[in-house]
Amino acid sequence: MHNMASNREDGPEREPGKERKLIGDRGDFFLNRIQGEAGVNISACYQCERCTNACPVSHYMDIKPHQAMRYIQLGWREELLKSSTIWVCLSCEMCTTYCPNEVDVAATINHLRNMAAHASVTAKDKSLAIFHQTFLEVLVTSGKVNEFRLMNAYYSKPDILKQKMKEGALKEEILLGLALLRKGRLKLYTPRSRAIKELRQAGHRIRGEIV
Amino acid sequence: MKLSFYPGCSLEGMANDYARSIQAVFRELEIELIEIEDWSCCGATAAHSLSESMSVLLPARNLAAAEKLGLDIVAPCAMCFNRLRYSQQMIRKRLFDIPWPVTGEIQVHDMTRFFAEPLMITSIKKRLLKPLSGLKVVCYYGCQMVRPPKITGYTDYENPQTLDRIAAAAGAEVIDWSYKSTCCGASIGIARREIGESLTKRILQKAEQAGAEAIVVSCPLCQSNLDIFQKDRPDRRIPVFYFTELLRLGFSRIGDPHWFKMHFTDPVPLLKSKGLL
Repeated sequence: MHNMASNREDGPEREPGKERKLIGDRGDFFLNRIQGEAGVNISACYQCERCTNACPVSHYMDIKPHQAMRYIQLGWREELLKSSTIWVCLSCEMCTTYCPNEVDVAATINHLRNMAAHASVTAKDKSLAIFHQTFLEVLVTSGKVNEFRLMNAYYSKPDILKQKMKEGALKEEILLGLALLRKGRLKLYTPRSRAIKELRQAGHRIRGEIV
Repeated sequence: MKLSFYPGCSLEGMANDYARSIQAVFRELEIELIEIEDWSCCGATAAHSLSESMSVLLPARNLAAAEKLGLDIVAPCAMCFNRLRYSQQMIRKRLFDIPWPVTGEIQVHDMTRFFAEPLMITSIKKRLLKPLSGLKVVCYYGCQMVRPPKITGYTDYENPQTLDRIAAAAGAEVIDWSYKSTCCGASIGIARREIGESLTKRILQKAEQAGAEAIVVSCPLCQSNLDIFQKDRPDRRIPVFYFTELLRLGFSRIGDPHWFKMHFTDPVPLLKSKGLL
């Protein structure tokens, strides 16, 4: 016991950014808050890793789903909101379905995504967040989502255009778009739904404006 | 019999072939579909990713319109079905203020489960003119249609059977396989191509290993993902059908449904070789 305590104080200096974090140094505020808002009993997670093993994209995640649950228990908020995990998650609900303790992992990650969308933390990989954002922009302006408009709006976002050019994937995307057009799979114009005004109002209300 | 129909955005664009085959099949089965008036998008993944209340409000508008009609909803798209059901549950919990009059009591059917009812299966078998005998297929369900079971109401989410039953009723030889409800990546391929491709590649590979000549789906996004990302397998292409396309094929003695032109992986050679076209 004595040894362990002295080890912690005299142990090797850690690189900046990799300092040892103490368990529960934030208290359980973050845990309680997420549990309340998402309606999920995250304390029930005992790290069996069933969620991570079921996840089809866990190898593209920097924090695995079971680790994300532990991070919440420990209150490590910024790491979670910055992670690629929350955006790579497909919401395919494998984790939720197979959790032996009925922890709704997918809903929790979805809630983190909601939080990240309203937080000032910058995500490591913005492309997926921008895609969702563009989707909603197109939705609010016409009530329906036209794939042609969605793709145009998405690829003309400066960040995405830059990234696709750097990867050299732009040509491929344009060719795919042309092939889709030739096959008659893209509709160039969708009539607007009468819902726009109502949807916009709902949008205002969500942003906390009083209408 | 009358039902209200919520097509969803994909059926107007990418999945126009699905929309046309659905209309043809319902006409054949003498069920009237009434499109929900002035429907709007369900919000899909984007809405629930960015704002929970948006994901409840968007489908609620369509639920309200269907309740005005007083008819049960049938949704062909797995995502729309999932979001409508989710919204309904949240409305019943009364956690959100919905600006439209809606109770959330109307029944939302997923199209495959509607067709897999024993009554519908017999009605399909009765109208079958050309059984799709000899066509070996695997059925692919994707995720949003079966999971989470608390929302979709599927009890056999590990090994769903609805599409299997429909394809078998149409006379096809249905093969059992293990990747029925593994995710195809949905829209992730647009932002992160490598992730989307790795997921679809595995599904196609497993379908081939199971000995399938075609895949049967019911979700527009699953169809486009599996259909389009087959470039790296030029000599082993597997056509991906909507189940309504197969039904339509079985209902007509002669036919060359023109919507097969919309497929990237051309199903015509396979169908011709089986004598089905």
